[in-house]
Amino acid sequence: MSAISQHTNSAPQPGGSAQPVVRLEGISKFFGQVRANYDIHLSIGAGRIKALLGENGAGKSTLMSILAGRLQPDFGRIVVDGEHRVFRSPKDAHLAGIGMVYQHFMLIDSMSVADNVLLGHEGSFRISPAKMRERVAKLSAEYGLEVDPAARVGSLSMGERQRVEILKLLCRQSRVLIFDEPTAVLTPTEAEQLFKAMRRMAEQGKSIVFISHKLPEVLEISDEISILRRGEVVDNFVRAQVPDEAELARRMLGRDLRKGDDIALSAEILPGSSASDAGTAQGLKEIMGELPLPKIKGRGKFLAQSEPVLSLSGVRCSAQDSVGVHDVSFAIAKGQILALLGVAGNGQKELVEAICGLRGLDSGSISILDHPVDEYWKMQPPHGGLGYIPEDRRGVASCPDLDLVDNFLLTTRKLFSRYGLLDRKRAMRATKALIREHNVLPGNPKAKGSELSGGNLQKLIVGRELLRNPRCIIAENPTQGLDVAAMEEVWQRLRIAKESSGILLVTGDVSEALALADYLAVIYRGKIVDLFSVEDRAKVERIGLMMAGSASLAG
Amino acid sequence: MDGFLPYLLIIIPALAAAVSTGTSILYATLGELVMERAGVLNLGVEGMMMVGCLASFLGCYHTGSPWFGLLCGGVAAMGMSAIHGAVCLFFQGSQVVSGLALTLFGVGVANYLGTPYIQQKVVGFASFNVPVLSSIPVLGPIFFQHDAMVYLSFFIPPLLWFLFMRTRYGLALRSTGENPEAVRAAGISPSAVRWSALMLGGFLVGMGGAYLALASMRMWVDNLVSGRGWIAVALVIFAFWRPGRAVFGVYLFTGVTAYLFRVQALGVGIPSSFLNMLPYLMTLAVLFASSLKGRGSGAPADLGNNLKPGS
Amino acid sequence: MSGWRIVSRTEPREWGSVVIFAVAFALSLLICALLLAVQGKDGLGGIGLLLSGGFGHLYSYGETLLKAIPIFLCSLGVALCFRLQVWNIGAEGQYVIGTLGGCWFALSFPGLPVWLMMPGMLASAMLAGGLWAAVAAVLRQRWGMNEIISTLMLNYIGIEILKHLIYGPWKDPAGMNFPVSPYFAESAIIGPVWNPDFWTGIGLSDGIVDTLAQLFGRAHWGILSCLIAGALCSFFLRKGMRGFEITAAGSNAKAARFAGIPYSRLVVLVMFVCGALAGLAGMQETSATLNRLEPHIVVGYGYTAVVVAWLAKLRTMRIAFFAFILAGLRVGVENLQLELQISSSFANTLEGIILITVLAGQFFNDYAIRRKPRQSVPGAGV
Repeated sequence: MSAISQHTNSAPQPGGSAQPVVRLEGISKFFGQVRANYDIHLSIGAGRIKALLGENGAGKSTLMSILAGRLQPDFGRIVVDGEHRVFRSPKDAHLAGIGMVYQHFMLIDSMSVADNVLLGHEGSFRISPAKMRERVAKLSAEYGLEVDPAARVGSLSMGERQRVEILKLLCRQSRVLIFDEPTAVLTPTEAEQLFKAMRRMAEQGKSIVFISHKLPEVLEISDEISILRRGEVVDNFVRAQVPDEAELARRMLGRDLRKGDDIALSAEILPGSSASDAGTAQGLKEIMGELPLPKIKGRGKFLAQSEPVLSLSGVRCSAQDSVGVHDVSFAIAKGQILALLGVAGNGQKELVEAICGLRGLDSGSISILDHPVDEYWKMQPPHGGLGYIPEDRRGVASCPDLDLVDNFLLTTRKLFSRYGLLDRKRAMRATKALIREHNVLPGNPKAKGSELSGGNLQKLIVGRELLRNPRCIIAENPTQGLDVAAMEEVWQRLRIAKESSGILLVTGDVSEALALADYLAVIYRGKIVDLFSVEDRAKVERIGLMMAGSASLAG
Repeated sequence: MDGFLPYLLIIIPALAAAVSTGTSILYATLGELVMERAGVLNLGVEGMMMVGCLASFLGCYHTGSPWFGLLCGGVAAMGMSAIHGAVCLFFQGSQVVSGLALTLFGVGVANYLGTPYIQQKVVGFASFNVPVLSSIPVLGPIFFQHDAMVYLSFFIPPLLWFLFMRTRYGLALRSTGENPEAVRAAGISPSAVRWSALMLGGFLVGMGGAYLALASMRMWVDNLVSGRGWIAVALVIFAFWRPGRAVFGVYLFTGVTAYLFRVQALGVGIPSSFLNMLPYLMTLAVLFASSLKGRGSGAPADLGNNLKPGS
Repeated sequence: MSGWRIVSRTEPREWGSVVIFAVAFALSLLICALLLAVQGKDGLGGIGLLLSGGFGHLYSYGETLLKAIPIFLCSLGVALCFRLQVWNIGAEGQYVIGTLGGCWFALSFPGLPVWLMMPGMLASAMLAGGLWAAVAAVLRQRWGMNEIISTLMLNYIGIEILKHLIYGPWKDPAGMNFPVSPYFAESAIIGPVWNPDFWTGIGLSDGIVDTLAQLFGRAHWGILSCLIAGALCSFFLRKGMRGFEITAAGSNAKAARFAGIPYSRLVVLVMFVCGALAGLAGMQETSATLNRLEPHIVVGYGYTAVVVAWLAKLRTMRIAFFAFILAGLRVGVENLQLELQISSSFANTLEGIILITVLAGQFFNDYAIRRKPRQSVPGAGV
């Protein structure tokens, strides 16, 4: 599959001290009615790498936030070196030698690496930038975490930023380092480097806890594995006890994962599509009625069948604080999914903004449904146009303070308006139907956007975008942070939508790209490294390298 | 009048006037800058200056000591800052609304309490020439023939620069303005940092108000601050949140204003109503100039956001 | 022991905001009593005078209503801007420029009949105020200029323009050198609502007419424009697509841009509407109460409107309520001025204090302070 699995297994021998560094005893944590952690017992030994495995929402992050002092447990206690400790804040945890590398880095972009690493540990009241750089350089050399101490954090790659976070902990003499899904933002190569650094730290006696839901990397790096399900530790074992991924998956899910399950999905998982579910209430289709192709001034109907729904040629745009986009060209026709594959921060965001008409082009052109991008956004057909499923569900796709009807209307408002007035009653009916058919929870249309979980919000957004019968869809990491069931549902809906539209799938997840796309375009530093069909085995093999920027060789 | 000579001759007195009229705005700008660098947007500068202005006047009026008056002004404005801190840092109120309320309250209360003292005079700070330096041609008259508060103001920007860039506290303060969560994770309380910045900045703003009562006017009149607080807020943006640029911005601002007033005195037909508008037009111009470099460049990333409680 | 923690409430308390306002209001009045006492005046007695001046008598309602008209109109517009997270503090300047627009029409075409004069004055006032506000909107959207400062500066500039005109070109030659314009023609004057002939003419009894006379006092027909503007605003916000777009963009501007909502145009639109409403308020005030242009047309209604909009949480009915309350306080302060000889700036002080206390009090609606659950003792388990 990816570069990760090529690695041969060479887990370092455990340090093997008798007493664990940290022991969690009977930790429980509740958020209102929700049981995030329940009676968890866990011990962490010196020089060991422990993987905490579980699906989304299993309570891994909560547990580790408790250990790092960000959250306080409702019950249970933390024992460090045989001594009961109470952490009221991250500071207490730091003092006990426990630190965490969060998934969303807590760094100050406008300041230097040295400032970030030494914040709070400067040593003296008066500080000297030169000496601070020196200290950080020494530390980074010691652990092989290469990064320029004078560089501004904002200009660093995600991998480098992660190194800064690790250096922060090492500078504080942390003995227990917690990593929350550390590879999510890394290229395969960067992930390899991280694993090397983790092993080196373990060899020096540090304990490492590593949260993940990716099976191959857990097998590759860990000495011990603990599995969390629904807030409880359901299994504890050493790496040697599991022979392969299938066995690990079985233990994680508590059921067998069929081979190739991620691709062959039946339509029956879609709640709305089962006949029994339709019941007595009015369906979305009935409420919306037939949506004829919109007529556009000047050109009559837009787009003939065979033309591409989205085409970019020679698109360049520069951005102040990022890599920008350099000479990107591709076209997507109806019935195709093109995956734009790359690690976050390689120009995908800028490209999508350009397609959405929010970023000017330096040169080149974008055409949506046969119209230049500016012209398209000026007329914005109410349906049959472009649907957009953003990555940032709360920041870009929804209004947290507004209710679900308003959030539904956000992009579909033109379907419900006449003479500048909204038909709110019909919108309410349609929202109810959508909630039912897409199984959005809680099912109250008066609920605020912020009250929905990420997965449910995504269901609403996907439903809303597909409702407009888009002929071109942009989906940005549509399944990020979703659990397996929700992910399968979103994938299935996109596959169905492909029948009537062309889809640009922007993703950083190789398996998602391979599961959905017909064509792959790997993007690195704002350039398309290569564009090829998923059938092209040779190139698919090299995806990992391409994502790290090495151009594909011909043949 | 012919030739350029008269227009050149008035440059030096205009610049000298710029330094003395700019001092009040300079203190206020630097005060606001300290608060904003820590991430607290305080739009109450106008009200804080008014209160500081009245307190310094009363302090000096009753004791006869301008230095005591200055202290009163600073402390009173710190008190106003503390209200802002209580509303925003503790009670989670909107920083914008709190600042506006502070301005309404401060301007109102100072005018109300000051009514009995209108046209009353105080000793205030007298001008004196700095030995040796004041006799330097050009620079002498511009910078060294003023009062003690002007000379004091020369030391503040380098001190602030040192505080920001070369001390542990400064690093924490700047970091708090950018990303308070990172600061918290580093074991420092962002709320404590913001409180301290509010106090320090508040004192400086109060000194700006005090300058008006104790050095510029040396008596009490209604609405003494008249928009200078807002000019200070605009100049912080123009300065891209850097103390050095703030000095440049303030003197540029007051310099142009003072020069045009003197040009009018030469008999050039500038309508006086235009001159009355000038500070406000200049403020717009200053904002315009800073926006040309791009939206909010240099603004602390977390400016105006409240810290989440209980985390 | 840090035994307490602050937690965010998911459901705000039902009667929370009413209680908060009542407590904050009482607290503000107490602080004002203290301020009066500082100057050696009877604090509580002063508060009594203040309240009775604003709300104590039938005739005080008329005065309060008179002041509530411009505050309501300005606040309606300000609330629209705030809804979109545009911090327009410039209602004061827009009010002034609108006044100038109306006056220009009234003074330039004195001979026009009412049916031409009134629409002309309305249109030119609203256009002037609206365009003045749109300047700040364009500066914000095109160049990213901070609208708080730009609108404030435009307030100061607007007032200077007013002074320039009234001390210069528009000064009444027969005005004994006072800074006033000539009186408007009859056709340019908005009459009072209370007109005994009109009301008895439609068959009301003398007793009722008398009560009405006191209740409305000097309140003028501009009150009709409040009703119309208020109704239109709430209708379009609830039902109109632009209204929805404003609400959505105010809640999340980024999401709005990605959803193809023309954000910049909305900013210009709300600013223009706000300026037009403020301009309308100014023109009516001049025409109905002064019948000519005078410098003290500028009394800070625009700033009060900001306070009202915020207290009302941008809701139209509440804006009407708070406009009335704050107008009453202004009338009360005028009463205080007469009785206790205090400065007129007392009104601003009071508004500032109310705003601060309500802002702080809001906290108790959004958050609860709860006792932390105790850390379990070792061995206690679950």
